[in-house]
Amino acid sequence: MARKAQENPQLDMTPMIDVVFELIIFFVVTLTQCQAKDETIKLEDGRYGIELTPEEMPPTQMTVDIARTGRISMGDITMTPEQIGQRVKERKRKFGEFPVLIRADYRTRHEAVARVMNACTANGIWKISFMAIYERKAKD
Amino acid sequence: MARKPQDNPQLDMTPMIDVVFELIIFFVVTIKQEDIFSKLNANRPAPASSAAASEENDTQVKIDIGSGGLVFNGRMMNMKQFDQSMREISKTSKNSMVVIRCTLDSPHKYLVDALDTCNKYQMYNVSVFSI
Repeated sequence: MARKAQENPQLDMTPMIDVVFELIIFFVVTLTQCQAKDETIKLEDGRYGIELTPEEMPPTQMTVDIARTGRISMGDITMTPEQIGQRVKERKRKFGEFPVLIRADYRTRHEAVARVMNACTANGIWKISFMAIYERKAKD
Repeated sequence: MARKPQDNPQLDMTPMIDVVFELIIFFVVTIKQEDIFSKLNANRPAPASSAAASEENDTQVKIDIGSGGLVFNGRMMNMKQFDQSMREISKTSKNSMVVIRCTLDSPHKYLVDALDTCNKYQMYNVSVFSI
């Protein structure tokens, strides 16, 4: 059966929009999963600690990561304890007292943790918190 | 066959339902539940005062952490024994100062476990020293 030439041929956009939406969602989900995966820092359980809600994470808080190997970092930038001390000093001058949260792997030696704590005390920060897992939900 | 102009054009819902189902399945399969985190507070006195901490003081509860585990009252303990001991102590002296002394080669795990147990029995005055 021959098709008649349509007077107002319209492109059906529905499948294209479908596919574009699916692609956008796929990339958003897979990208965030890639970022969240960090095998070098596994935390110990701390069921009786204070639950880390957004209110318990003030913007002045400084988080220091310590990987299994003892690598000290802040925001994925490797740092020496001296550099951490410098940051603490600058931050204390700006904000006064502020909380320090150490996110250390459960297998790491205390040596690296002690270095970070010493960098804090040398610059007048005595209160240190350690991050732990309140409730495990993620599958390993 | 030429299409007749419809008098009551109706939106075909089928593709939308298809896509919605696909999305539901996609999220159910890929969704990753995140852990809920906690924080355990401790005091870190200046390194010079670590000598003072080793002095005998009855109001202090001393916990030593080495590479092998926890030593409490001169005895190596597993977590269950440590938990029991702390429970006993918390009954009589909840406000006493807890001093945790860690050797440099001890795994961080034991420090977190000790702090967690102190929090469990509401002993919040905890100081961490490194030896």
